[in-house]
Amino acid sequence: MVQLVGSLRKELADSVSSCRVLVVGAGGIGCELLKNLVLTGFKNIEVIDLDTIDVSNLNRQFLFQKKHVGKSKAQVAKESVLQFCPEANITAYHDSIMNPDYNVEFFKNFMLVMNALDNRAARNHVNRMCLAANIPLIESGTAGYLGQVTVIKKGLTECYECQPKPTQKTFPGCTIRNTPSEPIHCIVWAKYLYNQLFGEEDADQEVSPDTADPEASWDPAQTAARAGASNQDGDIKRVSTKDWARSTGYDPVKIFNKLFKDDIMYLLTMDKLWKKRKAPQPLDWAVVQEMADAFLQSDEVSGQGLRDQQVLGVKGYAQLFCNSVETLRSQLAEKGEGAQLVWDKDDPPAMDFVTAAANLRMHVFSMNMKSRFDVKSMAGNIIPAIATTNAVIAGLIVLEALKILSGDLEQCRTVFLNKQPNPRKKLLVPCALDPPNTNCYVCASKPEVTVKLNVHKTLVQSLQDKILKEKFGMVAPDVQIEDGKGTILISSEEGETDANNSKCLSEFGIRNGSRLQVDDFLQDYTLLVNLLHCEDLEKDVEFEVVGDAPDKAPPAPNVPEEDKNIANGNQDSALPSTSSKVPIEKDDVLIVDSDEEPSSSTMEAAVEMGGVKRKLEDVETGGAGSKRKRLFELPINDDDIIALD
Amino acid sequence: MAQSAAGKSNKEQKYDRQLRLWGDHGQEALENAHVCLINATATGTEILKNLVLPGIGAFTIVDGHKVTGEDVGNNFFLSISSIGKNRAQAATELLQELNSDVSGNFVEESPDKLLDNDPEFFHRFSLVIGVQLIESTCLRLAGVLWNAGVPFLVCKTYGLVGYMRLAVKEHTVVESHPDNALEDLRLDQPFAELKNHIQSYDLDNMDKKDHSHTPWIIVVAKYLEKWYNEHNYQLPKNYKEKEAFRQLIREGILKNENGVAEDEENFEEAIKNVNTALNPTKIPSTVQDILNAEGWKNITAQTPAFWVMARAVKEFVENEGEGKLPVRGTIPDMIADSEKFINLQNVYREKAMQDASVVSKHVESLLQSVGKVCVYKSKKKCKNAAFLRVVRCRSLADECSVELVNKDEITSCMDNPDSEMVLYLMLRSVDRFFQQHSRYPGVYNYQVEEDIGKLKLCVNSLLQEYGLNVNVKDDYIHEFCRYGANAIKMITHQFVPFNNTFIYNAMSQTSATFQL
Repeated sequence: MVQLVGSLRKELADSVSSCRVLVVGAGGIGCELLKNLVLTGFKNIEVIDLDTIDVSNLNRQFLFQKKHVGKSKAQVAKESVLQFCPEANITAYHDSIMNPDYNVEFFKNFMLVMNALDNRAARNHVNRMCLAANIPLIESGTAGYLGQVTVIKKGLTECYECQPKPTQKTFPGCTIRNTPSEPIHCIVWAKYLYNQLFGEEDADQEVSPDTADPEASWDPAQTAARAGASNQDGDIKRVSTKDWARSTGYDPVKIFNKLFKDDIMYLLTMDKLWKKRKAPQPLDWAVVQEMADAFLQSDEVSGQGLRDQQVLGVKGYAQLFCNSVETLRSQLAEKGEGAQLVWDKDDPPAMDFVTAAANLRMHVFSMNMKSRFDVKSMAGNIIPAIATTNAVIAGLIVLEALKILSGDLEQCRTVFLNKQPNPRKKLLVPCALDPPNTNCYVCASKPEVTVKLNVHKTLVQSLQDKILKEKFGMVAPDVQIEDGKGTILISSEEGETDANNSKCLSEFGIRNGSRLQVDDFLQDYTLLVNLLHCEDLEKDVEFEVVGDAPDKAPPAPNVPEEDKNIANGNQDSALPSTSSKVPIEKDDVLIVDSDEEPSSSTMEAAVEMGGVKRKLEDVETGGAGSKRKRLFELPINDDDIIALD
Repeated sequence: MAQSAAGKSNKEQKYDRQLRLWGDHGQEALENAHVCLINATATGTEILKNLVLPGIGAFTIVDGHKVTGEDVGNNFFLSISSIGKNRAQAATELLQELNSDVSGNFVEESPDKLLDNDPEFFHRFSLVIGVQLIESTCLRLAGVLWNAGVPFLVCKTYGLVGYMRLAVKEHTVVESHPDNALEDLRLDQPFAELKNHIQSYDLDNMDKKDHSHTPWIIVVAKYLEKWYNEHNYQLPKNYKEKEAFRQLIREGILKNENGVAEDEENFEEAIKNVNTALNPTKIPSTVQDILNAEGWKNITAQTPAFWVMARAVKEFVENEGEGKLPVRGTIPDMIADSEKFINLQNVYREKAMQDASVVSKHVESLLQSVGKVCVYKSKKKCKNAAFLRVVRCRSLADECSVELVNKDEITSCMDNPDSEMVLYLMLRSVDRFFQQHSRYPGVYNYQVEEDIGKLKLCVNSLLQEYGLNVNVKDDYIHEFCRYGANAIKMITHQFVPFNNTFIYNAMSQTSATFQL
């Protein structure tokens, strides 16, 4: 049988068939990639994915069919590929790549790792594992018609974390709880509410009015009076939302009235908030029932559209709220005592609940309501995805893989796929890879960062969860204070330092200028953290990384000498006379939508839908827009699971 | 009934991620399309896979070949058990598995036979994709499709080089999805209903809350009235005037008792939007060209819907529209309370519907004049009147004709010896080789050296025949001897397809588009 081997040199064909490669992710890009790998002649392939197959995958993940819904992606992908290519040797893992079983030794088994991921946490982790194991990594991502492929090799190129990424969009707690001004605030609130009622309760996801809102600052006497008043309020304050809801038997009407009437009336008593804002208007279930649903909006001038694109009226959403609460109540009951539901945008009652609750809150706060279709985009961070883009990107991944296997790392490129040919008539734009950022807090020889925080307020627990795990992407950090004694602050051994968790840093002698040595043994990664004590961080900001300016464009990447004259000079100048030289274009790289930020990509998609698009201001659209800058940011390709918060 | 609703919802779920890209009407167009693939090669089936997954209506594979071991090796959709079977049938069966909503068909015949016996067979398709066709077949088929107005996508892959050529006499695009479309607000020339609506606001006698919740469109309109009165009914044109206009708005922000400006976000929005809001209402030149197009001036029963529409829009512009396109009817999101926003939105929306129904009337009477009944859904097109585009390609016959060949493009590209154009010339030379030897160069190892010479002859005779004074490096000839997604844009009539040749060079991951 003749495979692509025909067009490859013999030595390359041999290394293709003998090497072992790892594919991380068996989703949109992963399916295409597996197909391409076996057709190219790769024989030893391992694939890992923790996800199961959903109906919404079937429009592009061609290794899966309807009958596979609910099954392991990795496993089914393997079986489908074997049907066509029985001679391939594929190992499938239905697991998270962040599981400690997949340690540096595991990564060292491979000649090459290829990411086909959809979230930043896993990308960060695989990046570190490949740096630690010194294995080349091919990164990739797609969003709608756009896509990108790049190569990461320790010491030679930028790593995935060399350039700061835009931070996740977060909203201050009091905006969510007290003064929402945009639909997204109400949608975030509704997702919190879902967890508070049916899922895992999280103290950071409060939904009731926030009396500590600095903007509302009352004089102390008033505050005391109010505290008394809220106690009379049927003890709602001291019981958790879930316990309260349970005590009512999840009575939808009672929940409705608490959320949209009583809590709003309470907010109205914080009158300072409404001096300049339009005050919210409480909704009473009984009154809503009397309403003739006067304004029923439709998304399209021409009417119709998808059922999901219709905007219901207040009464319609009240009914949807009621129905979804009842459905979720029985789902919860079926799961038994102490069970929790997990929010999923593709679970209809969960999506109905968020749509209804968010819209009712939008109405209360005088915002224009949104269709289920639009709410789903925003609540689920949905990035549109099609087979074609994934197929193109998977093809490019294999080509980079072939260059790596031939030992031609200097020929590797970052390649961008544009929506339409750029002014130079190129649809695919290759760019030279940048050398590592010497200040990178991941791949520098002695990584170091400086963090501003309040040592009297920051708990060891939040140092671990919010700073080390969430911000710096560690899985199981060990922390030692550089105080000459080597005090262990956090141990990755279970239970060893639990007693420290609820203490604040200053209790361990940590003060301005203290240094922490943080190790993650799984990632074989050591980070030195310099702490700066700071008392005047903004409310809801627990810490700040010094020099981290995610909203600014990263510094202009260096252009290797060889490429400089081409980039700066005229494109038509004679190139070296081998056909393999690439005209490098530095200046017209597109913006790829950022990972976890729902606004840009989903908004762009929605704009393309041509409906009554309530576009956020200043949304940067991807593609050949007027603003062009480089963001070393790979888009989510698939069903992301990242929460908005 | 219940079942069809459930079916619809299933589809919505399955296609959710793409509906967010091309909308339900794009999906509908896709589902109504019937695509023909000639030759179920690896490239051919890959293209079909990417159409079958998103739910194209139907496909038909035309292929007279039997499946060989080589096919099974490079084509994911053929397995060892298919060897010896007809390739069209084997690929259809396996592609069909990808999506049960799609109707897969196959014809076990070579395109040449079909062209001999039943050339009209090809008229039924929304798009024909021809893969690895030999030049003579390609040109014959292209002629048939050109005259029938069926788009023809020619695809070739050779080693690590890919080639795609679109041949269509005329492709109309209803939604071109421009990157930076301006809003259609008509503030410079408000229609009567908008004027009345603006009149209903009195910014000077409003309470603070209403003042800060007045949509910015109204704010700009109000201050524009003022500006008009002071500036002889001229829009602020240059930067200086616009800056002065912004200042005028800024002065309108309410002040508190201490004379300090209040925080009025709607005014800030108004100031920020001055530039776009004051864009004069006019018909884009691309649309003007369509309205003035000669080709379909006389409406007959055969005139395509797009041109009937274009004609109706033209009538509208010349009569009721008073020189303007139908109102689009959408406004951007803005700070305002629901009631005010919805009222304003309705003003635009109702005007858009009104304009659309006027256009519909024109459509009806145009069709009546040729004895046809109106079945067009014209509202979508009205809304997109500013985004209409027409793409016209050169025919393959012209491209290949010695007299009409686009010499300039070829020679100017070849000034850079590594332009992708050289690959085009190489592919044409390989076609020539095949025509002469009935096989591709270098397929048999023992013939490589010999084939290099033969291919070089083909290159030279091609250049000579077309009078091209360019140099093709021997490297390319050796490389070629060693070797042994655009359809969706066409179907949905959204986005502007490339015009007309796309070449992909996997050796250096570069791509290029040419007009040939």
